[in-house]
Amino acid sequence: METEKGKTFRYLREKREVSQDAKDRLREFNRAKKEILGALKEKDMTVNELGKKLDRPGHEIMFYLMTLVKYGSVEAGDIDDMDEYFSYKLKK
Amino acid sequence: MSDEIRAASYDALVIGGGIAGGEAALDLANNGYKVLLVEKDLSIGGKMILLSKVFPTLDCAACITTPKVSEISRHPGITVFTGAEVTSIEKKGEREFETAVTKRPRYVVEEDCTACQLCEEVCPVVVHDEYQYRLVGRKAAFIPFSIASPRVAAIDIENCTLCGACEKACPPKCIDFTQETEKYIIKTGTVIVATGFKLFDPLKIPRYGYGVYKNVLTSMEMERQLAPTRPFNTILRPGDGKMPDRIAYVLCTGSRDDTIGNPVCSQICCMYSLKQAQLLMGALPMADVTIYYINIRSFGKGFEEFYEQAKGMGISFVKGKVGKITETETGNLILRYEDINENRVMEEEHDMVVLAVGVLPNTDPLSFFRNGELKADQFSFVDQAEVLSSPARTSVKGVFVAGTASGPMDIPDSILSAGAASSEAISYLKQ
Ligand SMILES: Cc1cc2nc3c(=O)[nH]c(=O)nc-3n(C[C@H](O)[C@H](O)[C@H](O)COP(=O)(O)OP(=O)(O)OC[C@H]3O[C@@H](n4cnc5c(N)ncnc54)[C@H](O)[C@@H]3O)c2cc1C
Ligand code: SF4
Ligand code: SF4
Repeated sequence: METEKGKTFRYLREKREVSQDAKDRLREFNRAKKEILGALKEKDMTVNELGKKLDRPGHEIMFYLMTLVKYGSVEAGDIDDMDEYFSYKLKK
Repeated sequence: MSDEIRAASYDALVIGGGIAGGEAALDLANNGYKVLLVEKDLSIGGKMILLSKVFPTLDCAACITTPKVSEISRHPGITVFTGAEVTSIEKKGEREFETAVTKRPRYVVEEDCTACQLCEEVCPVVVHDEYQYRLVGRKAAFIPFSIASPRVAAIDIENCTLCGACEKACPPKCIDFTQETEKYIIKTGTVIVATGFKLFDPLKIPRYGYGVYKNVLTSMEMERQLAPTRPFNTILRPGDGKMPDRIAYVLCTGSRDDTIGNPVCSQICCMYSLKQAQLLMGALPMADVTIYYINIRSFGKGFEEFYEQAKGMGISFVKGKVGKITETETGNLILRYEDINENRVMEEEHDMVVLAVGVLPNTDPLSFFRNGELKADQFSFVDQAEVLSSPARTSVKGVFVAGTASGPMDIPDSILSAGAASSEAISYLKQ
């Protein structure tokens, strides 16, 4: 079995099965990420605008969007005239 | 799991690395005793390390906790096991305890990790970040939070897809998927239980809509939103990203409530709500904050002045019991409450509701001793056998309790109680 430094994941792969839940979550995150980044490529948007365009509930958009902000692919832009909703944009 | 059982001995075992356990460990080590600190989580610091600021001084929580946890981690007299749990304790005789400890694999060699976060950058998996109370995501390869101690990555093996990207990216090659659970038998002369408290789960009061209405938060979620290492760019509604204008606090959520089985006052919720309300007024100067309360219990040093300060800032106080919360189409929340002073039922609309969730016992320590020697009080906190004359003593001679493991209390009282536990432990060791 592979126990060479830098390749030990192969060792655990032989011993342990990756759960279906983990695979599903990864697929779902990749899908949401692609959709959000695709939409923001067209124009800056608020959470509600993204939700409408992608047909996803606001809290789901918030979770994925804020995660994309955390990991540096999206950033907050301006806030609207009512000081209520920020728009979000791709980080250049 | 490896079959090998490692043996080690120390003067004292401290279980739980929150502020109480950390303080007790430091007291003992500063007096020349060798201490093993066993912490379940990936970092020491307990709940305090995740707070924004602290009542009643409004000092930054991280500024107090960070030097403390680093002193604990660097102290030559303290060995820290994170990701570790006590499975059993046996008292063999006076000053002779034998404890079985299990340490989960972190899949990272702690000493070699430089916290560069390159593993985190390349890891494709995103799950809810428990240290941000699920408001944002984290990777499966992750550093728990920026001021974690140890500041070392860990692999969340349940969510890892074993793609190997982190291992390839790690410069010192310290990710190691061959790590296994380690078992220890630890011999010590005394034990301090500092396993802290649990937060009330508001799902147990469905009429408040927590979990269904996304703009109903717990106080710990708000604590994270107010911290400098917050999950969002500012304070936002998790349901739609709106910056809230009208924020309500519902005090005594899960405290002083026989219907959910917790008749006791949590002692901290009034004060942390007053604190958060003041911080919110600072962060969102245009916001209206209303606190719905039964009684405000501001009994500690400087607490009444803190309450007066909150009133002076324009925070509204409504003596009212909230019966039900409903949601409007815009995600706003309607609170239906009994106005106790006016003696009538009223309704009020808010943008966001914070539930001041109460303190519940962590019952872990009750199963440490096989025959139930460690007794609980009537509310399932660790019983203080001689609460007036010797508050750190438990039902087992040589085992002491520190902090919220014995009941609700704030940080200053947790630290005081840790001092009592460590000095009682030292007296016991010297007998
Ligand atoms: C929202 C909120 C805001 C607050 N704000 C303030 C404030 O402003 N000022 C103030 O004075 N107080 C405040 N408090 C109270 C403060 O958090 C507590 O007083 C303090 O954290 C108690 O410390 P502790 O060490 O007793 O418990 P904890 O912080 O709960 O620490 C217990 C530790 O033990 C570990 N543990 C648990 N079980 C085991 C086990 N079986 N084995 C090993 N380890 C285990 C836990 O992982 C944890 O690290 C606040 C609390 C809340 C909920
Ligand atoms: S092996 Fe696991 S932790 Fe490492 S990058 Fe892949 S999914 Fe993430
Ligand atoms: S595990 Fe490796 S890549 Fe990850 S933070 Fe530590 S040193 Fe960096």
